[in-house]
Amino acid sequence: MKPFTFSKPENLGKALSIKKDTVQFIAGGTNLLDLMKKNIAGPDAVLDITTALSSKIEQQGKGVRIGAMVRNSAITTDKTILSKYPLVAKAVLAGASPQIRNMASTAGNLLQRTRCPYFYDITTPCNKRKPGSGCSAINGENRMNAIVGYNEQCVAVHPSDLCVALAALDATVATTDKNKKQLSIPFKDFHKLPGDTPQLDNNLPANAIITSVDIAENPFSKNFYYLKLRDRDSYAFALVSVAAALHLQDNHIADARLASGGVAHKPWRWYEAEQYLKGKAPSASTFSAAADIVIKDVKPLSNNGFKKSMLRGAVETALQNCLTA
Amino acid sequence: MRLFNTKKPVAARAEGRVEAVAKVTGSGKYAAEYEVKNVCYGVLAVSAVAAGSIKSIDLSKAKQVEGVLDIITHEHKPLVPGMADEAKIKETRFGLPIFHTDKIYFRGQPIALVIADTLENATYAASLIDAEYNTEKANVDFESTHPGVKLSSAGKEKGTLDAWSGAAHIVEAEYNVQAEVHNPMEMHATIAHWTADDKLVLYDKNQGVNNVQRVFARLFNIPPQNIEVSSEFVGGGFGSGLRVWPHALASVMAAKQVKRPVKVVLTRPQMFSLTGYRPAAWQKVKLGADNNGKFVGILHQSKNNTSKYETFSEGITRITRMVYNFDNLKTEQATVPLHLSTPTWMRGPGDCTGAFALECAIDELSHKMQVDPLELRMKNLAVTTDPESGKPWSTNFVNECVEKGAAMINWKERKQVPGTLTDGEWKIGYGMGIGMWGAGRGNASAGISMQKDGTITVKTAMTDIGTGTGTAIQNITHSSTGVAKNKIKIELGHSDFPATGSQGGSTGLSSISGAVSAVCDALKQKLATYALVQKEVYKNAALPDILLSETGVSYKTNNNEFVSYADIWKKNNLTTVDVEASSGPGEERQKYAFCSSAVHFCRVKVNIKTGKVKIDRMVSVADGGRIVNEKPAANQISGAVVGGIGMALMEEQLADKNLGNLVGNDLAGYHFAVNADAPVIEVAFINKTDPNINPSGAKGLGEVGIIGSAAAIANAIFNATGKRLRDLPITPDKVLA
Repeated sequence: MKPFTFSKPENLGKALSIKKDTVQFIAGGTNLLDLMKKNIAGPDAVLDITTALSSKIEQQGKGVRIGAMVRNSAITTDKTILSKYPLVAKAVLAGASPQIRNMASTAGNLLQRTRCPYFYDITTPCNKRKPGSGCSAINGENRMNAIVGYNEQCVAVHPSDLCVALAALDATVATTDKNKKQLSIPFKDFHKLPGDTPQLDNNLPANAIITSVDIAENPFSKNFYYLKLRDRDSYAFALVSVAAALHLQDNHIADARLASGGVAHKPWRWYEAEQYLKGKAPSASTFSAAADIVIKDVKPLSNNGFKKSMLRGAVETALQNCLTA
Repeated sequence: MRLFNTKKPVAARAEGRVEAVAKVTGSGKYAAEYEVKNVCYGVLAVSAVAAGSIKSIDLSKAKQVEGVLDIITHEHKPLVPGMADEAKIKETRFGLPIFHTDKIYFRGQPIALVIADTLENATYAASLIDAEYNTEKANVDFESTHPGVKLSSAGKEKGTLDAWSGAAHIVEAEYNVQAEVHNPMEMHATIAHWTADDKLVLYDKNQGVNNVQRVFARLFNIPPQNIEVSSEFVGGGFGSGLRVWPHALASVMAAKQVKRPVKVVLTRPQMFSLTGYRPAAWQKVKLGADNNGKFVGILHQSKNNTSKYETFSEGITRITRMVYNFDNLKTEQATVPLHLSTPTWMRGPGDCTGAFALECAIDELSHKMQVDPLELRMKNLAVTTDPESGKPWSTNFVNECVEKGAAMINWKERKQVPGTLTDGEWKIGYGMGIGMWGAGRGNASAGISMQKDGTITVKTAMTDIGTGTGTAIQNITHSSTGVAKNKIKIELGHSDFPATGSQGGSTGLSSISGAVSAVCDALKQKLATYALVQKEVYKNAALPDILLSETGVSYKTNNNEFVSYADIWKKNNLTTVDVEASSGPGEERQKYAFCSSAVHFCRVKVNIKTGKVKIDRMVSVADGGRIVNEKPAANQISGAVVGGIGMALMEEQLADKNLGNLVGNDLAGYHFAVNADAPVIEVAFINKTDPNINPSGAKGLGEVGIIGSAAAIANAIFNATGKRLRDLPITPDKVLA
């Protein structure tokens, strides 16, 4: 690991005033330390912002505001989250391990980097790590990689489970910069596709910081499910995950949300399938048709063709479980 | 854990381990934790290409890092006499000639060792080393390479292939197993300290201190007794500690170079390429039976990968020559050299891979014949005579394991037609697999030192890699001498202690138990000799008549003949009573064949929409002779079965065919089963003494817990779904395909 200085600014203003490209914020450190130990990140200075940011979950209008520093495990026990936004808690519990969830922060979860094995091996080409060096995964061992939204530059997927639920619920990401300029970014626009800048995972302005994640009141607290399929139940990143939520009225689907992890460079919403579900009666055949819509445009890589049938089964199962689980 | 059939407690009472307090409190020291004065730190820099040679190494940036003392490369090193030339390298059988060649054999091969005052400085400096290579085309593709490698005979052929070409029922299929990595919790580590020009002290993680002595004696041309090796606590081995690996030699070279003690601890990614692994394997099995279900013939072929600098053959087809009777039998093997590091023994080596193919093939045959696979196996088990040697088995209760396990899992619930049992989207299936392992015994020695207050210390060089060896030694000592357990101290894993073989191949307890029994007898005999000074009755006293208590020696139960330890010590002017004894296999090996066995039963649930496999129940019944201590014995079996679940469902170390690198070589990328991925493993033992193997009657249990377990799972998945999945691991994508 490259030597670095370490400090703990007393407040956010101070932290932001020091921040520049070679300076890195640290919250839980559950990803940053990996990146530093593997010589992927090499900041000159590390700023501990654990006390500079909010670790509160509080009412915000009719919705909820999750402070940037709220630990992942705190989300899973919070009464408001469990009663009004249980999909979020269920997604968090599907991710990582209890030890990691105890350390990891909400904002850090959004900012964690891909788990593509080539990104983590600095002896291999990787456009995300070293722009222009090439993508090793596209013709390599890519069973964990993307099936939608990728290009020849990068086939990495975003690894978060929390973010899939936040995408499904149309959360917003509150940010601020050193000029105290505040920006509220809709979740669907927060993470980005690789495009020509695969080294960038998201649209957080340079040297800005996330202060909270906000979720508006919604009718998805009754019929929801988060299904994560992976190689190992105890601890593994998703092969495919599905966040499903239905708003049922008079035995028909008034509104539907469907999002996936493990399929793209960002948490992926299945808008067309959601649209299809609206107004239909919830039934096995409706869910099966929605699953067909989900998979119709996916384009697996050389080694992950299985994700298509797996995704289809996962969507069906998750929707079914919205009714029963 | 539901471990035993509690109705009839026939084994020793389950109890805590002798090392438990030291492990739980952290006072037990593992190799890297010893405090050695003036120690410095070595960190390896490794090759970024998989084949070719080193053109140049740029150390300029690394040397500027504060605290760097020296950097060893192939161009700057203390010459190791055992690696002076090609012939010497071969002769010492060390394997990778670390820092004594410019050739690159695999990606991740050490090219430099940075020695610095702190771990942090050494780590940073190692990251700044740049090398240029003459890169050659690397080949790490086992799948496409093995078809071009010719098989050769592995053992004597019995009968002919033609003799059963017209058999009533024949199945033939190919099976593949991906490379797997041991990943013990403790990283491999060595602290090397030259206390004189020809005297070396090592704190090292390994499974046999005497082996480490011998290896370094050969390499440095010094007597083994000049090398002191401590491995008191070992955090898991699974076979990875049976060899001395390059990093250990690197630390010894570095200590010579900087004339200071040097500590080298591997990183987790380095553990994937520098301490061996279970090789990738291809197998083909052709199996035939007559209409009565008698096996008439088998052809079992296997190939496993090896490295470009060393040959490692797994012995995959050995299992086929041991469990069942075949009228005709042919086994063939080959190794496939690739630009990867050398594989090594990993729990149940060879047999674990072989049993997967054999036990699946039997399941395939039973399906074809529409008979119960359990009955088909029972008809063909070789329970009286070892088919390979023709000798009678000393004991072989594999058939009893089958019967007991079948009752435990309720085998009669299994349906012969696959896919019959369902629970919503989940399909339910049952499967079984048999594991067997040659029950070995090696030469071993142990010593006892007794104090005046009646406390004794049993010492042996044997390590305890987590198997419960120390606890078993305490149990045997207690039952042999009568000394209370709280007065028996156990000291293990040091080369100054009486020598033993390594702890591997399920021979640890089988070997050491004989030495412990012998040294207990020696202690009684010696105390009787001392007691003779006071009481005539001890002259020619038979061993069973000499009884030890907390305070002294008795003759039978006659109180009049009691002599206290205090008197013995006083009359004979003693400080301690020290005895040592050795024991090993003898003529019983000429008369009998020896085996341990385990039979595994599995019930799975398979989700046909998502490909998810849930192990619902796992039952394993083992024949390990007399069970010396149930708790660690059951621990061995359940731990091995968890390894079998990993092998069946998730473990695979992939190498990138274009770049030659290992893909995902860390604990996030490489999945093995942990307790949370396993159901309660239901373990039971036959617990019948083997009267011939050793004085304890115990047969080794380390390997059989994994052998056959992956097949049980694969067969259960077939029974659930009708899908015959012959390539491990059975990840969800394969279930969906």
